[in-house]
Amino acid sequence: MSELNPNPFAGDMTSARRQESAVRWFLRLSTALIVVVTLSIVAHIFIKGAPITFRSEFPFVNVKFLTELPGTLHVIFDKQGHAIETDVNGADAIKKQLGEQFREEKTISYSGGGILGPIVGTALLVVVSVTVALFLGVASAIYLSEYASHGKRVEMIRLAILNLAGVPSVVFGLFGLGAFVLTAPVLTDTPHERSLLVIPLLFTKLSFQGWDTCVLSGGFTLAFVILPVIITASEQCLQAVPQGFRETSMALGATRWQTIWRAVLPFATPGILTSSILGIARAAGETAPIMFTAALAFKDKLPWQKDMTALPPDAGWFAHWEQSVERFLGIFTESVQALPYHIYTLAARIPHNEYSERAQYGSVFVFLVLVASLAATSIWMRRRLRAKYKW
Amino acid sequence: MSTERPPLHQLILKKQKGTFLGLDLQRAIRFFFASNASITIVVLALIMLFLLREGAGFLSTYKHELEIYRRSGLEYCDLVDRPLSKQQELSSKLRRALTASMDPIIQEARARRDAAFLLKREIEEETKLPREALESALEKQPPTAPDALNALRQQLTQATQKLAQAVSVSPLFSPEEASRLRQEMAKLSPEISELPPMLLELSAVFSTRDREAKKQFAELVDASEVLEETPEPLRELLDELKEEVLATKEAAVEHFTLEEGRQKLLQAAESTRDADEKADLLKEAEASKTPEPDYVESIKPVIERRDELIQAVSKYAKDIEIVAAGLHLETGTEEAKKMLARVRQQLPEHAAEMRASIEKLKAWRQDKSVSIFSVIAAFFFGTNWLTNSSWQDFFGFVPLLAGSMVIAVIAIVIATPLSVSAAIYTNQFASEREKEWIKPVIEFIQAIPSVVLGFIGISLVGDLIKEMSGWACLSWLPGFPVQERLNMFNAGCLLALMAVPTMFSLAEDALNNVPQAYIDASDALGATKLQTVFRVIVPAALSGIAAAVLLGLGRVIGETMVVLLVAGNRIAIPDFSAGPGVIFQPAHTLTGIIAQELGEVSRGSAHWQALFMVGIVLFVISLGVNACARAVVRRFELPKA
Repeated sequence: MSELNPNPFAGDMTSARRQESAVRWFLRLSTALIVVVTLSIVAHIFIKGAPITFRSEFPFVNVKFLTELPGTLHVIFDKQGHAIETDVNGADAIKKQLGEQFREEKTISYSGGGILGPIVGTALLVVVSVTVALFLGVASAIYLSEYASHGKRVEMIRLAILNLAGVPSVVFGLFGLGAFVLTAPVLTDTPHERSLLVIPLLFTKLSFQGWDTCVLSGGFTLAFVILPVIITASEQCLQAVPQGFRETSMALGATRWQTIWRAVLPFATPGILTSSILGIARAAGETAPIMFTAALAFKDKLPWQKDMTALPPDAGWFAHWEQSVERFLGIFTESVQALPYHIYTLAARIPHNEYSERAQYGSVFVFLVLVASLAATSIWMRRRLRAKYKW
Repeated sequence: MSTERPPLHQLILKKQKGTFLGLDLQRAIRFFFASNASITIVVLALIMLFLLREGAGFLSTYKHELEIYRRSGLEYCDLVDRPLSKQQELSSKLRRALTASMDPIIQEARARRDAAFLLKREIEEETKLPREALESALEKQPPTAPDALNALRQQLTQATQKLAQAVSVSPLFSPEEASRLRQEMAKLSPEISELPPMLLELSAVFSTRDREAKKQFAELVDASEVLEETPEPLRELLDELKEEVLATKEAAVEHFTLEEGRQKLLQAAESTRDADEKADLLKEAEASKTPEPDYVESIKPVIERRDELIQAVSKYAKDIEIVAAGLHLETGTEEAKKMLARVRQQLPEHAAEMRASIEKLKAWRQDKSVSIFSVIAAFFFGTNWLTNSSWQDFFGFVPLLAGSMVIAVIAIVIATPLSVSAAIYTNQFASEREKEWIKPVIEFIQAIPSVVLGFIGISLVGDLIKEMSGWACLSWLPGFPVQERLNMFNAGCLLALMAVPTMFSLAEDALNNVPQAYIDASDALGATKLQTVFRVIVPAALSGIAAAVLLGLGRVIGETMVVLLVAGNRIAIPDFSAGPGVIFQPAHTLTGIIAQELGEVSRGSAHWQALFMVGIVLFVISLGVNACARAVVRRFELPKA
C-alpha cells in the first residue's frame, strides 16, 4: 500500500529519524540480550544435562538416575585403561575379580546412584509448604478482598505483605531455625533441656522445644517465604470476580459468608490454584530457607523407610495401625535430602571432575525441568483462564 | 391451625441466636479471616523477635570475649602483630617486582625449559599404562622372564615413539630443535634415570640466565632478602610473648566454661527435692570450682619485656626504612618500575605504622574496661572476620558488608540499563509478536532457581570470564587477566540476571500507568515518538522506575545461593587500590556467611550470635529498602489524571 501510495507529507530521512531508529535498535538489542542470555543458559543445561537423563534406546530415560538414592561413586581403573563404575557394594567384588589387573580406585562422594531421595524430599517440602501457605494465604486474601478493603488495619497488613516479600530468604532460614527448629511446641512426656516453656496437660506435656530439623520445620519456613506471593495472587483472582455476582447474592438474602462460599470462591478457585503453582515453583527452588531447617547432604533411606521394631506375630490390628500411623508421621518429622540442596552440595562441597560433573548436570537438568514445567503450566493455564472467564 | 402471628417487628428484628463469646456465626467467620490476614504482621514481628532472641546476647558475649582478650594480654601482642602482618604482603610484592624486572632476561629461557619439561610429562602421562606394566615387571620377585620383559619394553617404546612424533612441540623451538626433542623424547624409558641431554642443556641455559639477571639486579635481590629476614628477631620475641599470653587466655576460657557448668549444677541442686541428690550435686559443683586466673600476675613477665619489645620494633622500623631508601627505580621494564614504586611508597608507611605501635604499647592498660560502645564499634566497624582461630575470634562486619555492596553495585549497574531499556522497548516499541516472546522469557527467569544460576556461575560463566580475560584484545581492561574464576564480577552478572525480571515488570507497570492524556497531549503538540517516550512517558514513570531499581537492589542484597557459590568466599575487604579491577577479586557476603557458617557452630556461642546479628542487619536493610521504594513512589506520585 505504502509503495503504491506514498505519504506525500513524509519527509526525508532526517537526523531525527535516524536518531529514532538508532535508539530503537539500542533498546531492541538490550532486550534481545536478556532473552538470548536466558535462552542460552537454558540451552546449555539442556545440552549437557539431557544426555544424562535420557537414553537413546528403550525406555528412553535413565531409569537408574531417576529411581535410585544418591551414593558414593567408586571408579575402578584396570591396567588396560578401562574404567569401571560401581557403588560401595560392588567395589570389592570387582577389585577381587580384577586381581593383578587392578590399578587404582577413585571415590567421588554423592555422585553415584540417582537422585530419587532429593526429588522425594523436595516433593514433601512442597506439599507441606503449599498446604500451609494456601490455607493462610487464601484466608488472608478473602479478608482483604471481601471483608475490609481499606482502613488502618488493612493498610498495615498490606505493608506487612510487601515487607515480607522483600525479606531475604536466608533470614527466613534463620527465622525457621529459631522458631520451628528450636521453639515450636510439641507434645512430649519428657521435655528437652532447651525447652522454653513447659505446660503440663492432662496426659502429657506441651513443651516449646522445637521440631528439630525436619520436613515440617522446612515446610513451614517455606510456607512463609511464598505466603506473600500466594496472598497477592489470590487477592487478584478474587478481585477479578465481578462485583455484580456479590450484589446479586446479597440481594437474594444470602449472608456474607454464603456469598463468598457460593458466589465468589467457585469462580476464583481455578485462578487461585493456577497462581499457587507459581508458589510451588518458588518453594521448590529455594535453598537458603531449608539449609538449616530441613535439608541433609546425605541420607541412605527414603523418608518412609524408617527402621521400626518388628511387631510380634500375634500383634493385634491396633498395634499395626499404630505403627503405620507412626510411619506416616515419621515422614514429616525427619530431615530429608532436597534437590536444590543436593545441587549445592554437588557444586560446592566436592572437587570437580568428569564424574561429579555428570551428577551435577543431571540433577540441575531434572530440577530445572521440574521447576520450569511448573512455572510454564502456571503461565499457560493463566492465559487459558483469562480467555475463558471474561466478564 | 390458626395461631396468632407474632407482631411484625419481632419477626424482623429477631435477636440472632447461637452467639459464643459475644460473636455470632457471621462475626466469627469474619474474625477468623481477619486473624488469618494479620498473620503476616505477626510473622514479621516474630522474625524480628526470634532474630533478636538468638542474636541479642551477642553484645554481652562478645564483650566478655574482648575482655578476656584484653586482660590476658592478647591485645597487647596484637598491637605489634597486626601491623607486622603487612610485612609478608610487602615482601611478596617486592619479590614480584624483582621477578618482573628479571623477566625480560630470563623469560625466554624459562619458557623453553618449562615447555620441554611439560612435553616430557605429557608423553609420560599418555604412556603411563605400558610404563607401569614395565615398572612392576622389573620390580617383581622372582624376576620376570626376559622375553616377557622385552615384550613389555617393546610395547612401551612403540607407544612412546608414536606419541613423540604425534605431539605438538611449542613454537619456541626451531624445527631442528623440535626434531631433536622428538628424538630424545622417543627414547624415554623408566630404565634410564637421567634426563634427556636437551632438557639438561635447557636447564643449564636457564640457570646461567638466572644468575646473570640476579647479578644485574643484585641490589633488588639483596633488598628482598633483607626485607624477608629483618622481622625475624622481632617475630621470635613476639612468639615468646604470644605463647605466654595465650596460656593465660586458655586458662581463662577453661575457667569460664567450668564456671558455666558449675552454675548449671547449682541450679539443678536448687530445683531438686531429693536431699541426697542435692548434696551430690553441690559436691560436684564444689569440685569443679576453679579460680579465675590472676591476669595481673600472669601478664607481668610480658610487660617486663616491654622495653625489649619496643627496641626490637624500632630497630625493625629503622631497617625497613633503610631498605626503602636503598631501592632504586632506574632499571627494568615499565611494569616492574611501577610495582617497585608502589613498594617503595608503602615501605615507609609500614615503618611509620610500626613506630606508631610503640606509642600504643606504652599506652596500653590491661585493666581498662571494655565499654559496650567499643563492642558495637568492633562489630559494625571491625575489619576482621576471623573464626575458629587458635588465637582470637573477631567478628567484624565490614569485609562482609563491603563484599555485599560491591556485588550489589555491579549487579545494579548491569541490570538497570538492560531491564529499563527492555521495559521501554516492550512497552512502547515492540510489536505484539515480539511481546509474545519477550514477556514469557523474562517471566521465566524468575522461575530459574537461584542455586541453578549459582551452578551456572561455577561451571560456565567463571570459565568464560577467565578465558576471555586471557584474550590479547581485551588486555586493556582493568583487572585483566583475572586470577580467580569465582569473583565478585561473576556473581554480579548472575545477580543482575536475577534482578532483571523484578525490575522489568515493575518498570513496565510504571510505564503502563502513565495516563494516556499525557501521551495524547504530547502527540498533539507534534512530538515525535522518541520525544514522547523520553520527554513525557519516561519522566512521568521515573518514580516507578526508581522504585523498581530499589526493589531490585533489595533482591540482590538478599540473594544467598548465587553469592555463596560464585563470589569466591574470601573474607577480606576488597583491595580498592586496584582501581576498577577490584571487581575481579573474590569476596564474601552477608548472606553467604550465614549460609556457610551457621551449620557448623554450636548454639549460643559468640559465633552463632554474630551470625544472627548479621541476619538482623540484613532484615533491617530489606525493610529499609522497601521503605525507601515506597517513599520514592509516594513522593513523586503523579497527580491522578
